Amino acid sequence: MTGQSSYVLTSMDRIMNWARANSLWPLAFGTSCCAIEMMMSSMASRHDLSRFGAEVVRPTPRQADLLILAGTIVKRMAKPLRVLYEQMPEPRYVIATGACTISGGPFTYNSYTTVRGADEIIPVDVFVPGCPPRPEALIYGIMTLQKMIKTGEAYGQPYQRRRPITAALPPGMTQAQLQKEIAEFLEAHATIDVDKAAHNNRWEKERY
Amino acid sequence: MSLEIRTLSEIMNPPQTADSPLSTQEYFVNMGPQHPATHGVLRLVLKMDGETIREVIPVLGYIHRSIEKMAEYLHGRQIVHLTDRMDYLSALANNWAVSRAVETAMGVQTNPRIETIRTLICELQRVQSHQLWWGVLGLDLGALTSFFYGFRDREEITDILEETTGARLTMNYIQPGGLMFDLHPNFVPRVKAFIKYFRPKLDEYETLLSENVILQERLRNVGVLSAEDAIGYGATGPVLRASGIPLDLRKQQPYGVYDQVEFSVPVGTVGDCWDRYWIRIEEMRQSLGIIEQLIDNIPDGKFMEMKPAAKLKLPAGSFYLQIETARGSLGVFLQGTGEDIPHRCHFRSPNFNNLWSVTKTAVGGKIADLVAIVSTLDLVIPDVDR
Repeated sequence: MTGQSSYVLTSMDRIMNWARANSLWPLAFGTSCCAIEMMMSSMASRHDLSRFGAEVVRPTPRQADLLILAGTIVKRMAKPLRVLYEQMPEPRYVIATGACTISGGPFTYNSYTTVRGADEIIPVDVFVPGCPPRPEALIYGIMTLQKMIKTGEAYGQPYQRRRPITAALPPGMTQAQLQKEIAEFLEAHATIDVDKAAHNNRWEKERY
Repeated sequence: MSLEIRTLSEIMNPPQTADSPLSTQEYFVNMGPQHPATHGVLRLVLKMDGETIREVIPVLGYIHRSIEKMAEYLHGRQIVHLTDRMDYLSALANNWAVSRAVETAMGVQTNPRIETIRTLICELQRVQSHQLWWGVLGLDLGALTSFFYGFRDREEITDILEETTGARLTMNYIQPGGLMFDLHPNFVPRVKAFIKYFRPKLDEYETLLSENVILQERLRNVGVLSAEDAIGYGATGPVLRASGIPLDLRKQQPYGVYDQVEFSVPVGTVGDCWDRYWIRIEEMRQSLGIIEQLIDNIPDGKFMEMKPAAKLKLPAGSFYLQIETARGSLGVFLQGTGEDIPHRCHFRSPNFNNLWSVTKTAVGGKIADLVAIVSTLDLVIPDVDR
């Protein structure tokens, strides 16, 4: 490939990613408590998600490109959730909100139905902790995803998104030191291969 | 009495019968588990004849989190934290139900301050819950504006509750023996300001949605639930009261300080969606009245009657207590064996019984009517499945 055409492709990537990041259409999917906070942030007037271009909530997965997992995923819901994810057109992004979708949350121990972490079923881009997370936290999660989209994904490597460095500066540490340390540490882990994550079949092995 | 048990596959694949001269066919429509009008992951299998519903089969379990089983491994004080996640729109009432059950089992007496604050804060959350229901009802029926109005006013209560309890939704505020924290100093003035703010807004709600002809056409004489059927299905709360039965545990079995305040229980006549709508609007007015009576008369005292570190040992025996949440009566059954964890814990949730009335009321109507019926039942699916 000549230098000229690779320059064109890179510019195209940047334009496409900018457009994608600023027009995320979430799917109206909420299983429990987090859905209320999602409604609070996405449509209610105080935390107006349309400032970030992510307020057009679609009831069908075929028109949506952002899946906000709001609430616990139980084993019976695992298969419908996977079907929903497969129905969404590519490129598709997933934000998992709440402790339940991260690790099982309050339902980690002694529960015979909860899936311990939604990333056992579908690949997750951003986790937003909280029980349930405040609307501000969800907005921050969406902004993080926008950063990932803008800096990641290229036509040469589809499904590859780069995690943004979002850590705050610890006391007694200069910016240069931290940057060097984090850059070295994250360089190996900074990329999620969504395609690879999508083909893990851990959840199929569990019998239920 | 014979009981016919049919599995879902048997219903959906009936045995073939002889051909009729004019062949018509009933077909099935799957509504849910991901559907915006079912308020969560409720799945309704609809047997349709043309556009008319012949049978509604609710299919549950898509958010069954085994809370009852988990409660068998937890102390009385720890069960409270799970109940927030059941009916998250009236989390405080759920906390109160478990706390009352544990207190009654152990014979703990609380002081008037605790009971007054509990009553006050639960009524505040009843208003909040009905506001959300009002907004979502409009959204389901195609009126987006009511959603913005309801959620705008809901944020005001959320702020007040957050200041005192420290959380917006899952509050864990009421615990056996008292409360987690004392009231925030800002609580009383802010609640007063809210009542002053919200009373005109409630009239605005009426002007915006109740007086709308389209809404009345969608709700009147739709999903009529007779009094016999309501009792037969075990419906409680606004659904039962819309059918003309004035059962309100706040009146019949007063708890907290409900026997010291004056309020009326709105009762419907027809039992249709419009009655259920109107009763919830009226309940918001009554709740505001209760708050107004109590807000100036909070007695002094401690906010916790037990030592926080004390182990709660449930005595041997069975205990059952009911409480009126925003959706109906929530019952808590605890079986103690003298240890600190219960042998069995069961929740009789109002939503489960209210849901099954849809198998009667929606039959013969259209799918659009079903959306209105499900919306006026005000279901919270994690409370159905637990």
